[in-house]
Amino acid sequence: MKMKFTRENIILGLIKYITLGLLIVLVLFPLVWLFAGAFKVEKQILSYPPTIFGTKHTLKSFTRIFQSIPMGTYLKNTIIFSIGSTALALFFDSLAGYAFARLRFRGKNFLFIAILLTMMVPYQVMMIPLFLETHFMGILNTYRGLILPKMTSAFGIFMIRSYFSQLPKDLEEAARVDGLNEAGIFFKIMAPLVKPGMMTLGIFHLMNSWNDLLYPLMMTSDVKMRTLSAGLALFVGERATTYYGPQLAGAVISVVPLLILYIFFQKYFVASVATSGIKE
Amino acid sequence: MLKRIGAYWNKPSKAAYLFILPSLITLFLFAVIPLCGSIIIGFMDLDIYFSVSEFAGFNNFIKAVNDARFWNALKNTAVFALVEVPIQIIIGLLVANAVASTSFFSKFSRTIFFLPVVCSMAAVGIMWNILLDGTIGYVPYVLKKFGLEGMTFFRDPKMAMGTVIAMTAWKNFGYTMSILVVGIQGISTSYYEAARIDGASKVKQFFYITIPCLASNLGFCLITNLIGSLQVFDQVYVTTQGGPQYKTETLVQYIYKTAFSHPFNLGYASSMSVLLLIFILLLSFPIYKKVFMPKES
Repeated sequence: MKMKFTRENIILGLIKYITLGLLIVLVLFPLVWLFAGAFKVEKQILSYPPTIFGTKHTLKSFTRIFQSIPMGTYLKNTIIFSIGSTALALFFDSLAGYAFARLRFRGKNFLFIAILLTMMVPYQVMMIPLFLETHFMGILNTYRGLILPKMTSAFGIFMIRSYFSQLPKDLEEAARVDGLNEAGIFFKIMAPLVKPGMMTLGIFHLMNSWNDLLYPLMMTSDVKMRTLSAGLALFVGERATTYYGPQLAGAVISVVPLLILYIFFQKYFVASVATSGIKE
Repeated sequence: MLKRIGAYWNKPSKAAYLFILPSLITLFLFAVIPLCGSIIIGFMDLDIYFSVSEFAGFNNFIKAVNDARFWNALKNTAVFALVEVPIQIIIGLLVANAVASTSFFSKFSRTIFFLPVVCSMAAVGIMWNILLDGTIGYVPYVLKKFGLEGMTFFRDPKMAMGTVIAMTAWKNFGYTMSILVVGIQGISTSYYEAARIDGASKVKQFFYITIPCLASNLGFCLITNLIGSLQVFDQVYVTTQGGPQYKTETLVQYIYKTAFSHPFNLGYASSMSVLLLIFILLLSFPIYKKVFMPKES
């Protein structure tokens, strides 16, 4: 696009770049400060005037957070919960999404609407009965209890369905003529074609379960089962005004894995958010 | 038996049920039953130890209507929603408009603005809590240089809610921005070219082309953000825990405390959940119908 250098455009351009510059600083500064703070000695975190980078650096905050709370266990639990539920959700969501997108069967519209209606009910409304239910099933405070309720979601089905709908028509007819059964068609032909959709949904699910707070907080009263978000939130609740260094170190540990993923798969992170906003 | 299942796989109209069965069972077990359970428990006297469990009629709902703390939580939730959502959408829209191009600077800005979306609210809460601390925080230290002294943000009853709102907007504006960038990139450039030929200024183009073309995206952001903000919990839990003086206690925070700390009153907490559900359904049904339901074809 050609830009006309009118006075108005120049002023607007200046305002735009100055504001964006300030906003970049506003977003980056706290994150940089957080990472720097995790490596400061506690004395310099508490000293006045505060500094951004400090002069003495140490890993002591990291060793102290591992000594104060079972960070290793939290990390392990978070990985098992988020990867486990993401893998299962991808599998079951794409099975169902495929059926709703490509197969004809009786009651299809009714069932699809029924599934979408469950999406209208937020988790917060169901949390108490869900807690009791998993308690009675004997899976409260277990990985099964954490993962099973999250192994499918109406939103995931809805999202992956739209990817299957976009595939060319009659793709499966040729395979049926070749004698493949429906499972074969799905696994060998259709599922590999929606890889971008799977990646997008997978990242979306992984990010949400990694960062989820209320759900693991409620489903894991046992310290040994807590996830990073829940464990850190409880730690802060107990020691709000002490242990600043370890708090920062804990926060860093909890965000670094996703940030690394974000660097490599930025496209899918953004797509996962953007597709949740796209109307068909 | 195996043969019968095998036969199912050969007929598309039958295989479909096998495809959707696992999801249907899961959703029935972990969404439909809990939803019904919530309504039933809402009409019961029930605590977490099952020391009482009996039908209570509308008692819990009557209790809520007469509970000042419930109204306070509802008010806080409404304030949060009515202030945070417009702020997030206006910032998201302005930023999206500025960085929608494919230039390096735009892409770089988008990458940066999305970083807080990736971070957990627990980590973000820890970070801002210490950054804004009245004695050792960096932000009050900088503000002091500008003559603004003694600000304690999360600890100040007058400022706490504003601080929670600002922190949430900081974390989430990149989310709204990403949705709107996709919308803006989808607007035909011919509209803008025509406007330029007619001599319309950039500001006019923004108001007369960009905003009208984004109407449905903006509507979607508005409703989903509103629904999300009615469920606000994480940011409060990790920073103020509802304090000071209940000034930041939201509805979900109050429900959580009622059910899972003293008094462990599941019945009362559930009745408040049902009221929350009613508020959310009233807000969300129109958009769900428009956005998600399959079109008649």
